[in-house]
Amino acid sequence: MRVTSTRRHAGQQAASSPRGSIWAAGGESLRARLVARDERALAELIDVASPWLLGIAQGMLQDPVEAEEVVLEVMTIAWNRIELVGAEGSALMPWLLRVTRNRTIDRLRARRRRSAALAVASADPDIGRHVEEESRIDEAGAPGWHVHRSVHTALDSLPEDQRTAVRLAYFEGLTHSEIAERLAIPLGTVKTRLRLGFGRLRVSLAPIKDWVL
Amino acid sequence: MSAHDWFVEHRMDYVARTLEESELRTFQDHLGRCPECAREVASIELDLAWLPMGAAPVALRPGLSRRLAEGVLETRGRRWMRRAMPAALAASLLLGAAGWLAGRQETGRLARELEERDSRLTALMDTVSIMRGADRVLQASIDMDGREGGILIFDDSATHRWNVVIHGLPPAPAGQVYRFWFICEDKMVPGPEVSAGTSPALFTLPMPPEGGKVMGAALTVESAATPPGEPRGRRLAELML
Repeated sequence: MRVTSTRRHAGQQAASSPRGSIWAAGGESLRARLVARDERALAELIDVASPWLLGIAQGMLQDPVEAEEVVLEVMTIAWNRIELVGAEGSALMPWLLRVTRNRTIDRLRARRRRSAALAVASADPDIGRHVEEESRIDEAGAPGWHVHRSVHTALDSLPEDQRTAVRLAYFEGLTHSEIAERLAIPLGTVKTRLRLGFGRLRVSLAPIKDWVL
Repeated sequence: MSAHDWFVEHRMDYVARTLEESELRTFQDHLGRCPECAREVASIELDLAWLPMGAAPVALRPGLSRRLAEGVLETRGRRWMRRAMPAALAASLLLGAAGWLAGRQETGRLARELEERDSRLTALMDTVSIMRGADRVLQASIDMDGREGGILIFDDSATHRWNVVIHGLPPAPAGQVYRFWFICEDKMVPGPEVSAGTSPALFTLPMPPEGGKVMGAALTVESAATPPGEPRGRRLAELML
């Protein structure tokens, strides 16, 4: 699985995690500096956010170079349109995460459309795992680690069948039909598992949804 | 089950991007028309805002932070300046060194030459920047006395200038000159006289202050004795925007 093992986090409650910032001086302050075209703020954004964005992109694409291209694209959009990013109260980091994930899925699906053969290869869960796991950060002190831990606590709370479906959908970018094929289960079962799984995640992640990072 | 129920049922799938391509397009179309679904999708996105951080972070390869920052900051202008400045510096240094070697008597002459080359370099940089920044390039062939040439116009709408390159023209017939014209809404406005030679003619033109909106350009061969007012001679090329 591309999501790191969660067993070590079992028992930790998302709701009890402290509200805080992964930025040295707070997300809103960083955004204000980015709006003011402060290039040091850009460097800080890249240092702190890129490992997480790369984690998303590399986990799905299984290609470090292409993953870096996605992160560059997203950072460029953020820098060029920072006035619009988070302008309506949404935080900067969730915006970066969402755009990275969407861009990655766009590339993944374009790649699959281009090459059926590659689609077969990328559907193999073992492809790229070795390389990927070598470069993963496993450091509890990393900025944002507490969020990662909270998310894993929420994922761990799901029944295994729902967790598997959610991981394939959310962290590997598979569609309903691709998940059904991968797990060799009916399409309706996939939809049910995802609906239940995401529904539970909405509840369990609710305590951290207003974090401003 | 109403048609809207399908959208209600698939809001979460839309956010998670598990819909098939055709379903995704259908949902996107619907979102633009349905405030209720748009509101609920935004709410789901907010609830799951941090879910992507379930993916483990990846250590950045050495130098990647710097490359990303450079990539983000790199603009067309910066790229151009970064490439041009070493060339300008090298040219200046070479000329400076040549001047020193030639002796003190040569200093004045070389300084003037350096200044001239610097201004040519500046003009060239300016010209190239217009070409690089051109929003539109117009091109036409010129057939003059069996010799084939061409005219290229790089239109930079940001600075309202044209960079014009004319090549392959034979020397103008005796008593005649080549003339560039702006084709404007109200009339033809004369541009510069074009000299033919071994190297292409190259000039930068601001838009004419008279004649109304510029619609195109033309190249004619005119009598040298006639002051430029309106074209009377043979039209060699015409380009319309």
